[in-house]
Amino acid sequence: MKTHKLFESNSHTWLMFGRDDEKPNEIIDTNQYIVISNKNALLMDPGGIELFSAMLSAVIKQLPAEKITHLFASHQDPDIISSLGLWDQALPSATLHSPWIWESFIKHFGMNHISYAAIPDEGSSLKIDQVTLDFIPAHYLHSSGNFNVYDSDAKILMSGDIGAALESVDAPLFVEDFDEHICKMKMFHQRWMPSNEAKNDWVNRVRKLDVEMMCPQHGRIFKGDNVKRFLDWFEALEVGVIAKSTTEA
Amino acid sequence: MSDLSHNYFVSVAEIAAKLDQATHIAQQLSLTASNARAVALRAGERAAGFRPLTDFIDRLAEITIKSSRNINKLAAALSQTSADKERADSAISHFNVVFVKAKDSAYIHSLDEVFSRCQRKQQQLNQSYKRQIFRLSDELAMLSSELRNAVILATLSRVEASQAGVQYQDALINVADNVEGAASKIKDHIHYSQQMVSILEEY
Repeated sequence: MKTHKLFESNSHTWLMFGRDDEKPNEIIDTNQYIVISNKNALLMDPGGIELFSAMLSAVIKQLPAEKITHLFASHQDPDIISSLGLWDQALPSATLHSPWIWESFIKHFGMNHISYAAIPDEGSSLKIDQVTLDFIPAHYLHSSGNFNVYDSDAKILMSGDIGAALESVDAPLFVEDFDEHICKMKMFHQRWMPSNEAKNDWVNRVRKLDVEMMCPQHGRIFKGDNVKRFLDWFEALEVGVIAKSTTEA
Repeated sequence: MSDLSHNYFVSVAEIAAKLDQATHIAQQLSLTASNARAVALRAGERAAGFRPLTDFIDRLAEITIKSSRNINKLAAALSQTSADKERADSAISHFNVVFVKAKDSAYIHSLDEVFSRCQRKQQQLNQSYKRQIFRLSDELAMLSSELRNAVILATLSRVEASQAGVQYQDALINVADNVEGAASKIKDHIHYSQQMVSILEEY
């Protein structure tokens, strides 16, 4: 699994883990992100069971395990948090921040030690050392209880499944040609995202944020002008549709 | 390694299911005892020898139900321990991969405490697993031995049924058949469970 530094300042660092060339072919490649502050760290969407060893191996090269005091799961999907039962043994004192509606579902992955901090629908903030991270509502994009993580200092938005693309493990980290990238993410957004209303509401809110990097959970990161291009494209996209060929019978 | 030992926690769940069936059959045996008493009562003096046997059938049903329920509880607890053990084993193997992959990491020792705790948990579960297997094995052997009486009971019931006259003979023979049939079915389940348990003991 590769590790890439996205941001560094005196107060904190953003790292991305992903492009795991040892993962089984049948499982989707995922990006994991971590914010490391002075004494604590927040690991976001830590991934599925199949990724746990690779993920912990990558993390442990960067910081001691006990420094990861917070976990975040944007929603309840297995590729996001099915490794919880193993993190529960590795980080028994940690706190998991996740949508309130998924608490009793996510605990099915096994959670005997970690504490669950339920994020209310309107979102909330987490302060780790000097860093404030905002849990931004992204409901129905795609899960019915869903959040992004925004860091106004680093100008990074961890956007979960928004902006995700299905790609090979050797794909570049950043979107280079936005127009070429559209074909890799169009079907994913149309099929997985059910609500135009929720989507447009999110676009309007995110336009007001200062975002230098938008980091999805699958595929490539959007940087600079490509963030704005993505918002324009996403706003115009009709979602909640299924390919016509599968519905016309 | 056989498939059975490989999926030991599935096997334990299967044992629990088998023994749950045994409890249901034991409940049918209890119905048979009530039925036997009613027939013996109607047959009057001609079934005088049969009446004490109904008490034995009742006692056999009672012991079987109680024991089956107990075994079922033990098997359910064992099933939970097995699932926990599988999870602990899985965590240990995941950590072992990390110790190889990140062996040169400056922070690899930050996992030592966590790993020791997982190992302790694994040892505790292994001990519980062995203790529960032993108790289950013991309880199965006890019930199996009780059920040997069912054959004797069925034979005696047939002898007494033949004295009860044509009118009640068939009904009482049917009681004897039911006792023997139920005991035989329960014994099959116990035998199967004992075989499974003996394989699990080696795990």
